[in-house]
Amino acid sequence: MLALNLLINGLVTGCALGVVAVSFQLAYSTTRIFHVAHAGIYTLAGYLAFSMVERGLPDPFAIIIAALICAALGALIQYALYATLERRRASHLSVLIASLGVLAVIQNVISAFYSPNIIPFTSAWRGQMMSLGLTEVQVATLIVCLAVFAAALLFARLTPLGKRIRAVASNPFLAEITRLRPQQTYIIVMAIASAMVAIPGALVAMDLGLQPYNGTTVLLTATIAVIAGGIGSLTGAFALAVLITVLQNLSLLAISGEWSVGITFFIFLIFMLFRPTGLFAQR
Amino acid sequence: MAGHTKAIADLSALGASLGRRDVLISILAGGLASTLPLGAWANDAGPIKLGAILPLTGPGAAVGTQQQRGLMFGVEQINKRGGIAGRPLEITYEDDQGRPDQAVLSFNKFVDLYHFPLIFSAYSGPTLAMAPLATRKEVVLINGGAQSDRLAKASPYLFNTIPVAGDEIAVLTKYLLENGKKNAAILYENDAAGTPSRDDFIKSFTAGGGVITGQEPSATGQTDYRPALLKLSDTKPDVLFAMLTDGLGALAEQLRQMKPDFLVVGTSFFNDPDALKNPGSNGWLHTQVKISAPPELAAAFKEKFGVAMEFWGTQYANAVFIVAKAIEKVIADGALITGANIRKAFFDVKTFDVMVPAVFTTNTAAMEIDIVQTQDGAHHLVKEYKAG
Repeated sequence: MLALNLLINGLVTGCALGVVAVSFQLAYSTTRIFHVAHAGIYTLAGYLAFSMVERGLPDPFAIIIAALICAALGALIQYALYATLERRRASHLSVLIASLGVLAVIQNVISAFYSPNIIPFTSAWRGQMMSLGLTEVQVATLIVCLAVFAAALLFARLTPLGKRIRAVASNPFLAEITRLRPQQTYIIVMAIASAMVAIPGALVAMDLGLQPYNGTTVLLTATIAVIAGGIGSLTGAFALAVLITVLQNLSLLAISGEWSVGITFFIFLIFMLFRPTGLFAQR
Repeated sequence: MAGHTKAIADLSALGASLGRRDVLISILAGGLASTLPLGAWANDAGPIKLGAILPLTGPGAAVGTQQQRGLMFGVEQINKRGGIAGRPLEITYEDDQGRPDQAVLSFNKFVDLYHFPLIFSAYSGPTLAMAPLATRKEVVLINGGAQSDRLAKASPYLFNTIPVAGDEIAVLTKYLLENGKKNAAILYENDAAGTPSRDDFIKSFTAGGGVITGQEPSATGQTDYRPALLKLSDTKPDVLFAMLTDGLGALAEQLRQMKPDFLVVGTSFFNDPDALKNPGSNGWLHTQVKISAPPELAAAFKEKFGVAMEFWGTQYANAVFIVAKAIEKVIADGALITGANIRKAFFDVKTFDVMVPAVFTTNTAAMEIDIVQTQDGAHHLVKEYKAG
């Protein structure tokens, strides 16, 4: 029973992390920007949803509006910051530092406006128990995140915009020549990635509460999933995020939680030595 | 000290006779004066200036802001009563975010730049990081919030105005074993506050015949305890000892969802407003240092801050009263307000009959410890244990 409970808990947490990984994958593999500020957008989404629920908006609408605001913020970061830095021929390191700066600003603004403390997310939806020891919001997280992943796959493979994004990601120079307008595509990609990451951001906040600095660890784990899954592979990022989280949960059966993160990542370290391009690397 | 004063006088006299070199001489004299022991200028009529390094932002801010309110209130009360021997008290605040490295930077700033003879601190990690510096620079550190056992002997200049966790845990395990709770699981914060408390609990509980069924760590600021709770719940404990300084609201919520069979127990850190508000904390049992403000002070606190006088607010206000008494003794002895003299005054006064009485036979205050139970957002007394 314990193993089943840990597995289910790992799957729920893993699906939320999977969407974070997929959204980061989308942004990174297209723009080649290590968009650390993504962690800030993830956190911000929870606070935005919280504010709207506090004002009486139903939870699903709060999540949708939070996602739209985050999409606008993601597009703004790309348009006003990253594109400007690229025009000025800033190095990758400079862009990374700028992204870290945005993350710090978002975290500090949240901290100043709300509170640096952990805030419980009190909505009527949260905390209602269902079968298998899951709460309603955990079930919603599982279903919604799986749906978002499936939608991302279909979008990337079947829609003209998805194909355009893949073309730009594959060869930006050729995309420029063929008038695919890479800079405009980057803005769209950042908006989509930010809207995507807002969904687990809001759902996890509803489940576990709000904390201004919680996005950083989530993004770190998602980044490892992106690398181990293979740069450019949405399926790889999602699958590895779920696998990492399930492994971390199940490892508690044998070892203390003190060691679970270290041992899980040690296994991936060994794995990367043998398959450095990742499990689902695109050729 | 006398040598320093004479040197300044000699330099000043020389300056007067040489005329054109006045400026240079003044600079030299000023430089020499800055090397004098801390508080050398403290026996004038100006305010007595102290520092406080607290976690005002970051994961520990919920407790840190309560502590700051306590200090501000204590200072206001002292100054309303005419200050310390007629001199007003002032406290300058620095935010260390609960981080030892930041605390050390703030400590050095307070000591080297402002020459404060006494600094209030909070949280075990930062306080332990500052303790060796306090010894070396002879600056008194006053800890009213952290409870790691290591704090008891960390520095001769560190005074804990709250009993260390080991004292509370000894009372808690005694109560549990007296009441037939023989199996315990532990959820602890994996840091300077949590690990010594875990060790104390294991030592004290097993010495009385108890069995530890399992233990799991958590990180500061963590909000997802489900995997650890699932595992610990599976070990079928009678009680879960939760040693967390933060995130107790999230723990209460997740326990409310799980509806476990075990009793949740802890220490004074269970005075967490978010946990108290959550119905999941109903029935939690914990030790509490007997500390409550007189009604008129509690009312004044509420009027000033708009909130009830919380546990940590009371602790730190009490710490200000203790410090004021020690400094009063220094002044009464005609000594300079230095860290060394304040330290000596602590042991000279020994029994501080202030808002909440505290006795200092060592560097840690002895106080009465109660067992209380949380129900509907309030603590209810279960049993009293006398100090010591």
